[in-house]
This record gives sequence, C-alpha cells and structure tokens, in this order.
Amino acid sequence: MSTEQITAKRVSTNNIGTNNISTKNISTKHISVKRYLPDNSTESYWQAYDLPVDDSTSLLDALNHIKEQLDSTLSYRWSCRMAICGSCGVMVNGIPKLGCKTFLRDYEGDIRIEPLAHFPVQRDLVVDMEIFLEHLAAVKPYLIDDNPVKAFDPQAPETYRQTPEQLERYKQFANCINCGLCYSACPQFGLNPEFLGPAAITLAHRYNLDSRDHGKKQRMAELNRHEGVWSCTFVGFCSKVCPKHVDPAAAVNQGKVEAAKHTLIALFKG
Amino acid sequence: MDKSSTQRLPPLKRTWWLKHGFFKLYMLREATVLPLLFFTFCLLAGMFALLQGAESWQGWIAFMGSPIVLVLNLLALAASLFHAATFFVLFPRVMPLRIAGHSLPDQVIVAGQWAGVVAVALLFFWLLGRA
Amino acid sequence: MEKIAISKHKQAFDEPLWWGLFSAGGVCFAVFLPAVILFIAILLPLGLLPAEALSYERASKLLFSVPGFLFVGAVVCLPLFHAAHRLRHGMFDISVGNDALNKKLMYGGAALLSMVALGLVVIGMLG
Repeated sequence: MSTEQITAKRVSTNNIGTNNISTKNISTKHISVKRYLPDNSTESYWQAYDLPVDDSTSLLDALNHIKEQLDSTLSYRWSCRMAICGSCGVMVNGIPKLGCKTFLRDYEGDIRIEPLAHFPVQRDLVVDMEIFLEHLAAVKPYLIDDNPVKAFDPQAPETYRQTPEQLERYKQFANCINCGLCYSACPQFGLNPEFLGPAAITLAHRYNLDSRDHGKKQRMAELNRHEGVWSCTFVGFCSKVCPKHVDPAAAVNQGKVEAAKHTLIALFKG
Repeated sequence: MDKSSTQRLPPLKRTWWLKHGFFKLYMLREATVLPLLFFTFCLLAGMFALLQGAESWQGWIAFMGSPIVLVLNLLALAASLFHAATFFVLFPRVMPLRIAGHSLPDQVIVAGQWAGVVAVALLFFWLLGRA
Repeated sequence: MEKIAISKHKQAFDEPLWWGLFSAGGVCFAVFLPAVILFIAILLPLGLLPAEALSYERASKLLFSVPGFLFVGAVVCLPLFHAAHRLRHGMFDISVGNDALNKKLMYGGAALLSMVALGLVVIGMLG
C-alpha cells in the first residue's frame, strides 16, 4: 500500500466523517490537554486543540486525531478502545473516565483532559501506575489451596466444581479491568498512597468469596490494618466512576465486616 | 520504567472536597454529627437539670424553647434525617442480606430501616403523646 | 499445615472496635434520634405535648430507671462514638492534627461523656 492509501485509511477509521459528510453532524470542539514534557521543562502547561467531531466521537478518537493530524508529541495510553483493557483512563473535567467510553457529544464548552489523579505523571497523560500494581500483588490475588501437597494425576485430573450460585457471590467483584479510575476517585488514596485502595481490596474480597479459595486468613494481615480496609470512609466515589460497575466501595466495606469478624475470633482464641 | 523523569506528586490540598458536588455531599454527610453533638449536649444539660429538681427542669425546658436553641435543634432533626437517608442506602452494600438463597433487594432493606424510624416515632407518641 | 500470614505490617486490632461502635451509633442516630429530637427538642419546649407527658415527676420516673439507662446508652453514648469516629476521620480528611492523637481525643472524649451520661442516670436511680 502506498503512503497516501495508508494515511487515507487511517483518517477514515477515525470516523470523523471525512467520507460521509452528508450523514454526520460535524461540529468543532475545543479540548485542552495538560501537557508535561519532562525533557523540555519541569512545569506542566495546558495546550488547546480545536478538532472536528461528530455524534460518535469518543475522547479516545479525539486524542488519536490530535496525535495523528495535529500534534504528534502528545503521549497517552490506549489499546482495546472498547472499555475492557483499562488502559485509557484520564481525568475529564476533573472526573476519572475511560477515554474510549467518554463521548464528546455529552460535553458543552471547554473539555479539560488531565492525567489520572493521585498518580505521579511521567509524561502528558501517562502516569506511573507502579503503586497500584504493588497494591494488587500485595493481596495475593490468586486461588490459594489449603491442601497444597496433592499430587497431580494426569489420568484423573481433579477439577474445581462451582455452582452458578457460588459464582454469583463474587462475580461482580471479578469484573475489574484494573483501569485505576477508582484510585483517582478515592480521596483516601489521594491523601495516603499507602492505602491499598479500592481495586486491590475488591480483588482480595473477590478471592475470599470464591468457593475454590482458602486463602482468607493469609490475606487478612494485609487487609486488617490501617492502610488496608480501615482507611476507607465510604466516600463511594470509586463505585460511581467504575466503568464496569464493580462497586468497589461495597467490597471494601464488606471487607471491614470480615476483618471485624476475624478480629473478634482472634480475640476469643487468645 | 524511567523513574527519574517522573514528576513528583504534590500532596492533596485540604480543599479537595470542594472540587466536586459528590465530595461536598460526602462532607455534608459527615458534618451531620455536629448538630447531633449540639443536641447531645442539650440532653446532658437536661439530665443534669432533672437531677437538680423541678425548677431546674422547667428552666431547661425554657432554654430549649429559646429561638436559637430551637433553630439549632431543628437543624439537628434535619441532620438526623439526612444521616438516616444516607446511612440506610449504605447498609445493603455493606451487609447484603440473603433469605432462602436469594439476596434481598436493596429497596426492601432501605424501606425496612425507615419502617424502624416510623416505629420509634409511634412508640414515642404512645409514650409521650397521649394525655 | 496452616500457613501463617507473614506481613511486615501489624494488624490494627483496635479499628474494628471503633468501626463497630460507629456502626451501632449510626444505627441509633438514624433510627432513634429523629423521634427523640422531635419530641424532646421541638414538641416539648413548644408546649405541644400533653401537660403531664414530660413533667418533672414523669421525666424522672422514665429516665432514672433501667429502661432509662438503656435509653441513654442508645441515644447519647453510641451516637457519641459515631460522632467521634466521623470527627476523627474528618480531621484526617482535611489534614488537621495527627491521627494517633485525634483517636485518643475523640474516642477518649466520647468515652468520658458516655460515662458522665450513664453516671447521671445511676445517680438519679440511687437518689
């Protein structure tokens, strides 16, 4: 394919109506993006872009258009463009959202795009999610067997059995796509990044509720401390911004009930 | 990851909650304990007055009838109802109840709690509202 | 063989206590206080209750009793711990003071006032 053909193909996949102008309502939107280019300056600054949009344009479409047509220096993360990979989280007028699931038709006036709050900014809209990944790993997010010394027999492999009712108990909490929006929403994480945070605690709770798992006791030390469940004050904004309706606030606070029960039992056991 | 180019994260400003209506409502919810505290101190004063005799008791009732105290306690009443409204919707999320293998719908749990509020009011009416 | 959780962090075995008191106090605040405030702080001072409903004699009889003791527990003590917990976390939210000290001040204060309140009932019962 020639360069012109590749360019033409890329522009048309942006779906900003260059081919079917008669069927799409094209307007112009004004987007301001918080830039940070550490090689050039230690200060961040706002940069404005005007771009053609129609009713279907997502924020991710817009960022792609900016990068391809207007300003190739802009950096941001994205992948699936369908709200399942969790890569494209940004702040849109102060609210954490997925770029692929945010539609510019819903916004009047200026649209301000900033990197996800409460994470160190590496460049433009790219943040350092390391602390998030550490917190996820800290809760041992995998099935823990209480009888590990079982020889695997390939002739008679043992499988887990789980009823639909047992699945229902934890399924909602398993839908997390690790996008990190809840951490940007959570003021307790903003005040103290040592707080395990919504997604990590929800993940722990997901495994604790899974009938195949026996690791609740092992996760308890991580959860039953101040930076575990006890930092949460049920602000609930995490659940509000979650693009997969996981309801992390419910999971964290159910985790408080579990931690309280564990403490009571530990007290009686002496 | 090249951490040396990572921008330092400035600490959250203490006015973070002013940035969004959701956070302001959260702070309002938390602040309902302030009018509650005022009413609690009024109650403690009443208990003292009751111990000291009939005259003190009447004096306390007069104090409770003064305009500022009435307004503050009306605020306390509003605060208790706002607290109830926000507290009741949190309960089914913290402790989802199951009966016969099915989880109770949230509205049922919320309605049940409001029924408790009404029951207490009826109890008070039975205790104090009849001649 | 039971695996022992090895964590570099100590568990916060006191937090469930404060949270439990906060929750119980929250239930009392939500379920009891509206009626209590309405009847005692609004209707009573405005003279809208029947004459002898909360006269000195009747109020003493109602309050300085075992049910009165429980009433104070539910309407004064538990809500005090609820308030203490919210104030403690609220101070953390707006970065006021230091959490370790605030815990002592808030929960200590609630405990003190609770004992005063319950003590008043006991004195009334004995008198």
